[in-house]
Amino acid sequence: MPLEATAPLAKPGRAAAYLDWLQMLTGAFLILFMWGHLLMVSSVLFGRGAMNGIAGFLETTGLAQLGGPVIAVAFLLHFVLAARKIPFTSKEQRTAVGHAKMLHHTDTWLWIVQVVSAMVILVLGSIHMWTVLTDLYVGVPGSELGINAETSAARVQKWPWTLLYIVLLPLAELHVSIGFYRIGVKWGVIKRKGRKKAKLIEYIMAGAFLLIGTATLIRFLLMDVN
Amino acid sequence: MARTLRFHVFRYNPQDPASTPHMDAYVLDETESMTLYIALTRIREEQDPSLMFDFCCRAGVCGSCAMVINGRPGLGCHTKTADLPERITLLPLPFFKLVGDLGVDTGTWFREMYTRVESWIHTEKQFDPASEEERMDNETAEQIYELDRCIECGCCVAACGTARMREDFLGAAGLNRLARFMIDPRDQRSDKEYFDVVGNDQGIFGCMGLLACEDVCPKHLPLQDQLGYMRRKMAMNALTRILPWKK
Ligand code: HEM
Ligand code: SF4
Ligand code: SF4
Ligand code: FES
Repeated sequence: MPLEATAPLAKPGRAAAYLDWLQMLTGAFLILFMWGHLLMVSSVLFGRGAMNGIAGFLETTGLAQLGGPVIAVAFLLHFVLAARKIPFTSKEQRTAVGHAKMLHHTDTWLWIVQVVSAMVILVLGSIHMWTVLTDLYVGVPGSELGINAETSAARVQKWPWTLLYIVLLPLAELHVSIGFYRIGVKWGVIKRKGRKKAKLIEYIMAGAFLLIGTATLIRFLLMDVN
Repeated sequence: MARTLRFHVFRYNPQDPASTPHMDAYVLDETESMTLYIALTRIREEQDPSLMFDFCCRAGVCGSCAMVINGRPGLGCHTKTADLPERITLLPLPFFKLVGDLGVDTGTWFREMYTRVESWIHTEKQFDPASEEERMDNETAEQIYELDRCIECGCCVAACGTARMREDFLGAAGLNRLARFMIDPRDQRSDKEYFDVVGNDQGIFGCMGLLACEDVCPKHLPLQDQLGYMRRKMAMNALTRILPWKK
């Protein structure tokens, strides 16, 4: 805070509050989506039929065709909003990392993890969404594609897609779990008394989702796709 | 089993053109109930009279002795060497203006912050020196006191990643300061007026919830709960004002 800053520092307005609401809401919406997404994809662990059944239901009802673009928009909106807090200049990045190193403080490191994972998710997540959304069944003659276990397995098995999923899965799970905890502390849902427990839940959640996700990836890798 | 402590202390005198920032090492035998205040005083008396650091009350009350102790901001007078490893690294608080070696100027920042949050009771009531003092219920008084315990040491601000990246951030101490007036029934400011002070990215919406402030505050102020409450209150205030009849 510079000493001579006696002029009004910020023009009074409500934009910051609305943007903060939107950042939280898009984040929360994406968390819910990610949980649902993971659970639905992992249905392949119970067999191709289970996953194809769910995918078929989502496509014939139009839920997938409608939901896909909604998620994509939420994803981009969330990025634009959260980017207001991301250190982009190298000066800020040096300060942020130097600060975390000095402090050896878990929550500060978790934030760095969130920022780094965010940038990877932005790139890899966009690629992933593009391929899946362009594969959707759109009901035009000749567009017989649609989501199904065989196509997904073939993609996961094909290098470098395999690498994409191996990197994207843990980073997405980390980002989501940390984001869940962070919404809690920022909005005062998690209080001082409950913080230890909330953090434990955060770690357990990240671990559980990582486990389910890894099992699903392995299932895809081992699937016979002729 | 007295230990031998190795101190690594940041040295730099901005007033002296010949001085360059560097670390100096000092070796000291540990004594019983030794605090960093005692250790630094002994180093200055026995080894290096040029060493600069701030102390005043030596009892965790004045807030002048904050420094970075093995990476964490804390009070020198409050920190026992017995709780630290043998190797102790001391740096001045970042964020604030360096006076020399471990001494920083927190006062200028705090005064500026007080001006920004208008840290005084805003009231239209005329003061009547003849009338009896108005009573406040005990619970409210205790809530205010809990937040008023801040000793302005600056640890929370120096530990805050947000403050480190954006100098104009009010920090937990500043947000806590305004919260103290928000619960004070004598302050007649409206929620909208409070919002105009902290409802922005220099204020509560800049806070990213890293909670380093909460974890380093030597007086254990309820900063986490305070920040969460403030964000909800200010966010709700902005939301209700979308409604045309709430202006
Ligand atoms: C486009 C890629 C993404 C970027 C660049 C990004 C960036 C960020 C950043 C920097 C934060 C911290 C902001 C702060 O602390 O104020 C954050 C928070 C968060 N992110 Fe993301 N993120 C991305 C994708 C996602 C996805 C896909 C999800 C969920 C599936 C997600 C969920 C969250 C949540 C829940 C929070 C906490 C929200 C809050 O603090 O208000 N993010 N994101
Ligand atoms: S919780 Fe907010 S004020 Fe406290 S250290 Fe984090 S960003 Fe700074
Ligand atoms: S809130 Fe705590 S850490 Fe911050 S200045 Fe006050 S006493 Fe120091
Ligand atoms: S000397 Fe006063 S708080 Fe440490």
